Amino acid sequence: MASGKAVDAVYKVKIPAAAAKLRELYYMAHFMHSHTAHFYALAAPDFVVGPDAPPAERNILGLINKVGIDIGKEVIRQREITQLIQQMIGGRATHPVWNLPGGVTRALASEDLEKIKAFVPGLIQFGELGLKLFDDLVLKNKAYLDLILGDGYELVTNYMGLVDDKNRVTFYDGTVRVVSPEGAEIDRYREAEYLDHVAEHVEPYTYLKFPYLKKLGWQGFKEGSGTSIFQVAPLARFNAAEGMATPKAQAAYERLFATFGRKPVHKLMAMHWARLIELLYAAERIAELVKDEEILDPNVRVIPSTTPSEGIGIVEAPRGTLTHHYVTDSRGIVTRANLIVGTTNNNAPISMAVKKAAMKFVNARGEVKEGLLNMVEMAFRIYDPCFSCATHSLPGQMPITIEINNARGETIRTVSR
Amino acid sequence: MKTLVVGLGNTILRDDGVGIYVARSLAGCLRGAADVREAELAGLALMEMLKGYDRAFIVDAIQLEGEEPGSVFRMTPGDIRVTPRLASFHDIDLVTALELGKRLEFRMPREVVIFGVQVQDALTLGEGCTGPVSGVIPALVSEIAGEITGEAYERISIPLSDRRNAGA
Repeated sequence: MASGKAVDAVYKVKIPAAAAKLRELYYMAHFMHSHTAHFYALAAPDFVVGPDAPPAERNILGLINKVGIDIGKEVIRQREITQLIQQMIGGRATHPVWNLPGGVTRALASEDLEKIKAFVPGLIQFGELGLKLFDDLVLKNKAYLDLILGDGYELVTNYMGLVDDKNRVTFYDGTVRVVSPEGAEIDRYREAEYLDHVAEHVEPYTYLKFPYLKKLGWQGFKEGSGTSIFQVAPLARFNAAEGMATPKAQAAYERLFATFGRKPVHKLMAMHWARLIELLYAAERIAELVKDEEILDPNVRVIPSTTPSEGIGIVEAPRGTLTHHYVTDSRGIVTRANLIVGTTNNNAPISMAVKKAAMKFVNARGEVKEGLLNMVEMAFRIYDPCFSCATHSLPGQMPITIEINNARGETIRTVSR
Repeated sequence: MKTLVVGLGNTILRDDGVGIYVARSLAGCLRGAADVREAELAGLALMEMLKGYDRAFIVDAIQLEGEEPGSVFRMTPGDIRVTPRLASFHDIDLVTALELGKRLEFRMPREVVIFGVQVQDALTLGEGCTGPVSGVIPALVSEIAGEITGEAYERISIPLSDRRNAGA
């Protein structure tokens, strides 16, 4: 979606309203499928099976053993439906060749719209099911609630997210808004201005960069008031916004902040809760979009007539604010490109959150708590990072090793999988 | 026996597309003896794809240290930690996907064979495979087609366990 918006900008073309609505409809289904996979397959086993359970049990199979086959089947079914919706709209659920400069390749068929409409009640119920499960399995479990509210998973930074004209969370189009650790708006920009607001710090040990707020300057891996580091992704979006644009998601949004008793929320485990609320929001937004008669308008593309040059597109991806910036020659061939993906934006926060969790779960004598590796991995997993997208590295396994150093910097113990 | 062939890969990353090219060739020669699909992702999506089949053949790119490009390794789901797409920590791995399907009472394949083709270059943006990988595609297509139809073929794949035993 970010690349689609960027090439619209490269060709300086405003896409038809129906094309924008179709892109958003596709994108809401994508959000649902992505958030479903992350919560049920990757995150929930930590809570439901237990953070220190053996990895062989701490997976979606262990989750199904706890919650039952019927819920497992429903997860698979609704995920399949969201993939099908994407396929109906864009031809393919993954890597669609459908977004073009000026709009999309094809209009939505009325029979496909009717099929999507029939899925809507189930999608909304599925969104509500996720929140009920989180309530029953996590919030009502004192040990997990303590884990969420404790200081092992906490990071105090600025927060970034795309908002609409009422400062509500939006995914496909809007204005980037940044709030301080205290919740005050400290920055706001549109796509074309991003280079004036965000810069990327480089460290010699990694080729993954560390974005920060340009006007505050790079201040190192420092959290707290005045830091230039910001977080993105579901909880950051909630902190950066003032509400949700759909009623059920808005009620859940209010409940989340009421539970923590403050805004912004710095407790990282709330990210999972926010992700589930976004899943419900996406379902409600699908319900709104399929009722919009304009979505069947056959006018879904404006043929570009200007000479291409340069363009920037920004969306909220499931993993956070995503920026694509292309410079092309007069034929439209890309000569320079810069992508700042969600995981890149969260690179510094992930590094800091992992370090804090590791220090929390190792005592002064270098003794480690049961399940240390997973407790540290959980700080990483919160962000649903895609390091293969951010670094193009695919090691095929979680390459996690923890070295415990004494005060002299000598390694006294190494723990690895 | 209801059989599915899945070609995994990305055709704009040179040899990473080998699974897709093998699947496309098979689609043209199996004459309905098996269903053939192309896919970019594994995990839950692959589990959904395998539902309802008795047997599945999966073809994917592989990068093992010290192996010649174009070598073909024959694997079981238990071997999949060597292919990144089938063992991503961004999704569930193939063993878990198959177990999940069974646990949810779906009919899942009793036999799953994975062919991993050693790549020369799977990181450069470009269509079409390198010479050594392109060169092995016809023989691999013949082997998979032979397994499905029962027609004679020359086996070129090496069981991954043999490679391990050789200490390569």
